[in-house]
Amino acid sequence: MTRSVWKGPYFVNFPNLKQAIERNIPIKTDVRACTILPSFVGARFLIHNGNKYLPLAVTEDMVGRKLGEFAPTRGRFSYRQTKNK
Amino acid sequence: MLHLLGVNLPDQKILSVALTYFYGIGPKTAEGICNRLCIHRQCKLQELSETQINELSEVLSKMTLEADLRRQIKDNIIRLRTMGTYRGRRHHLGLPVHGQNTRNNAKTARKLNPGILRRHYHVFPDRPFSSLASLFGGSRSI
Repeated sequence: MTRSVWKGPYFVNFPNLKQAIERNIPIKTDVRACTILPSFVGARFLIHNGNKYLPLAVTEDMVGRKLGEFAPTRGRFSYRQTKNK
Repeated sequence: MLHLLGVNLPDQKILSVALTYFYGIGPKTAEGICNRLCIHRQCKLQELSETQINELSEVLSKMTLEADLRRQIKDNIIRLRTMGTYRGRRHHLGLPVHGQNTRNNAKTARKLNPGILRRHYHVFPDRPFSSLASLFGGSRSI
């Protein structure tokens, strides 16, 4: 189900966004549901995936997507013979 | 056989059925085209007049069909992949993209998903997968 248009995109204000873009400092965030706005382009983020913070450099293509889409939460299954490893 | 936009259409069939021979036209779209051109339902392809065929090809040439459509779909998927989105990842792994269960089967996804990417790996010269892997958290394989 897509979000109603009248609500507008869901996003969070990053107060230090401008500084971060200028100084190229990554913004550490847990807000995976935040939509990437055009003003985010060029910024670097560290997005929480439940375990650690994964780096992301925002490009123009990414506008309109959510931050969480770029920080996968699940690893790929790999078979281990014993549990105690 | 009538040759339209690189596709052979069967003469004997009802027009709305014949149109579904195009990649990108299903029964619903075909019916819509017939209605727009005021062609009756049971009309067969061989019964069409010259002008009707011209009108038809004009309508068809404005649509995204066949190779163009395939390329468009492929490009969309590749864009997702190069960006490093979750959806692109799922395409790459051959798993369902829209959150379906994967405890069993997921057969359609396994059949369809990785194919497009696998056939077009060579389109990633500027960003090989090794560097993508680092985006997804270093040593973990993707």
